[in-house]
Amino acid sequence: MVDVGSLALAIAWVLAIYAIGMSVTGALRRKREFVASAENASLAVWGFVVIAVAALLHALVTHDFNIEYVAHYSSSTLPLHYTIAALWGGQAGSLLFWLLILTSMGAVVILQNREKNRELMPYVTATLMVVALFFLSMLMFITPPFERLAFTPAEGRDLNPLLQNYWMTIHPPSLYIGFVGCAVPFAFAMAALATGKLDDVWIRTTRRWTLLAWFFLSLGNLFGAEWAYLVLGWGGYWAWDPVENAAFMPWLTCTAFLHSVMIQEKKNMLKVWNMVLVILTFALTLFGTFLTRSGVISSVHSFTQSGLGPFFMSFLGVVLAVSLGLLIWRLPLLRSENQLDSMLSRESAFLLNNLVLVGLAFAVFWGTVFPVISEAVRGIKITVGPPFFNRVNAPLGMVLLFLTGVGPVIAWRRASARNLQKNFLIPLALGFVTGITLFAAGVRHYYAIVSFSLCAFVMATIVMEFYRGVSARRAMVGENVATALMHLISKNRRRYGGYIIHVGIVMMFLAITGTSAFKQEQQITVKPGDSFPLGGYTLRYEGVEPRETPHIAYLTARIVVLKDGKQVDTLHPEKRFYKKPEQPTTEVAIRSTLGGDLYLVLGSYDNASRMATIQAYVNPLIGFLWWGGIILALGTGITIWPARVPVRAPAYVPAGGRTEET
Amino acid sequence: MKPVSSMVERREASRTRALRSAWILALVLTVLSGGVGLSEDRVSFQDIEESLTCQCGCGLTVHSCNHLQCPSAIPLREEIRAQMNAGKDKTAILAYFSEKYGEKILSAPTAEGFNLVAWVAPFVVVGLGGVFLAFTLRRWSARSRLPASEAVPPASAASPYNKILEKELKDFDA
Repeated sequence: MVDVGSLALAIAWVLAIYAIGMSVTGALRRKREFVASAENASLAVWGFVVIAVAALLHALVTHDFNIEYVAHYSSSTLPLHYTIAALWGGQAGSLLFWLLILTSMGAVVILQNREKNRELMPYVTATLMVVALFFLSMLMFITPPFERLAFTPAEGRDLNPLLQNYWMTIHPPSLYIGFVGCAVPFAFAMAALATGKLDDVWIRTTRRWTLLAWFFLSLGNLFGAEWAYLVLGWGGYWAWDPVENAAFMPWLTCTAFLHSVMIQEKKNMLKVWNMVLVILTFALTLFGTFLTRSGVISSVHSFTQSGLGPFFMSFLGVVLAVSLGLLIWRLPLLRSENQLDSMLSRESAFLLNNLVLVGLAFAVFWGTVFPVISEAVRGIKITVGPPFFNRVNAPLGMVLLFLTGVGPVIAWRRASARNLQKNFLIPLALGFVTGITLFAAGVRHYYAIVSFSLCAFVMATIVMEFYRGVSARRAMVGENVATALMHLISKNRRRYGGYIIHVGIVMMFLAITGTSAFKQEQQITVKPGDSFPLGGYTLRYEGVEPRETPHIAYLTARIVVLKDGKQVDTLHPEKRFYKKPEQPTTEVAIRSTLGGDLYLVLGSYDNASRMATIQAYVNPLIGFLWWGGIILALGTGITIWPARVPVRAPAYVPAGGRTEET
Repeated sequence: MKPVSSMVERREASRTRALRSAWILALVLTVLSGGVGLSEDRVSFQDIEESLTCQCGCGLTVHSCNHLQCPSAIPLREEIRAQMNAGKDKTAILAYFSEKYGEKILSAPTAEGFNLVAWVAPFVVVGLGGVFLAFTLRRWSARSRLPASEAVPPASAASPYNKILEKELKDFDA
């Protein structure tokens, strides 16, 4: 089976080269049969990659420790779901998994476009296959997944215990789908540049792909945060680690693209800027993979490092050179007669939003690479950690939150005084009242006051939009509130789905502010029966119980949680000692309420004295981060969900515009 | 005597100018407030812990590292206590650690020399982007030959397009 996997990769490599050659030749010579053959070859590449993945999975599940990858990243005692997750737990496996997602998406794109976008498709296929060829080359020549050992070890070294967590089984696939999803709009953008078909067809064709990529990037970031929160046991969820930053940067530029693309769709403006954003987003996904895989910048998340860095950097250089070269070549065709009726308009707000999002991406990029720059310039190693990122990004984040409230409701073209008054007077007043109330209640963390006030402002703008829409439907159609709300959303999914996404974002800002400004913590060494207070709770330590399985030895503490003298919970933070490799990990215990989490960590335990060191945290409002993610997912689902196919054509054409895409 | 329409237009224009200034003021205040909030100088043990990076390879600050018997964070915490007990302020304590372990122990670059580039570059880039954006918007705005008109509402239910759509959907449902 393993030899089948190696052979499958080799055939896929040859077919990818064939597909690239035939696509480009077919497009240049206008040979339909060449293009069709290239598309079939791309589908075959997908098939052979599936075979290779199946071969590696088979080797993992059957514990074929003669395969170096299997011996390195699994063991015979590893539970099945983590054995399957070991597919992306190591270098070669994760590249193979990346390739599987890329070729699967490529296959869907080809099948979707058999009868449309025929001018663009040869270049779309060629672009996707060039990316696939790069990954195939890495797998063929640099980090082969099916390399055999000279001997067969009796047991594997096992998956890193930090990766043996539910969230780690779904965090990398989500991020990979997000990263690879960005390749589809990039491929269409390259095809548009190559063919000169620079209208908004490529944008409309890839709108759902971009949203899908953004959705998975969002989820991937959130799942990673949840993993860090539950597994690393330091009471936080985001440490501005280089690998976290690598996943965050394309999310920022992709968000900017999703907003600016609306201006191109509505006003046929920003064609060049949208191309730049698509190129930037795809380049950042490659840069992210480079950061994770190269080890050029040390990271707690870089579980596999190798000498892939120079290859990724070279490929990134080629991608940037070719795509920017094409962009410069097509600049004369991309120039649109940009007009703006007023500086006070939705167009301006969206452009400002783009500036802030790209500014944030730059700040994160700059902070991430600055240690390397400093070492190159001064020869001195420095660290750029959370204090830098918090201080630089917080003001920009506040502006972004403000614009989240302004952008969707300020008028297109020109906002009159009446429009501004109608849409913003009440939200602004609510924002100010929130700020004043917090100050009067004794809150002196000014950043938190501003953030909460802005959250109130944004929520008010969104609620007012829903209220107006529902009222209009009730007046026109006579529906009840629930039906009107449902029809309002279902008949304009893109707009109201967007508002729901913004609600999710506001909830995340609430959580970030709550945990940044009002977190409480205590580290204490206690003996059984001792109590200590934290954040309105009294915590009573009652001792530690040991237990053991063939895979792990556990030390489980028992801590009784009291509130106002009454027992409300019992929590069991753990220390786990994995036997292969011998490594201790932390299993936190959490009591979640709407107001926040009580988060307990068993720091250390002395068997002789039975004393334990407990780290206890109260993380206010953190639940809003996860609930915000769910709301964001709901909003994206509503936005992406296909509209009902119209059974008859509308009897009108909107003046000077097109019907809204859903 | 001036025509009423011209007076209304002028009043509208001056209200719009005032509102535009209010928006810009709100933005500036937002930026400043965010900065002020974070620059709050809480000199405490935790503050210094957060200003230092643990050297065990975890990538976290000394405050956040929770490794069992960490060979770096635990002695560093003891050193912080000793320095605070000696009556030193935050700047002096961080200078002590920087000198002893090298700059890499600080969790953020110092605001001096070449390191200033780290702090300034993001704001310079956003600032230059803002200036470029302002000029671009002004140029595009000047290109517009459309007469001043009432705002186009954001695709509200009152727009003629939506009214027709609602009517068609209603007829269709019926």
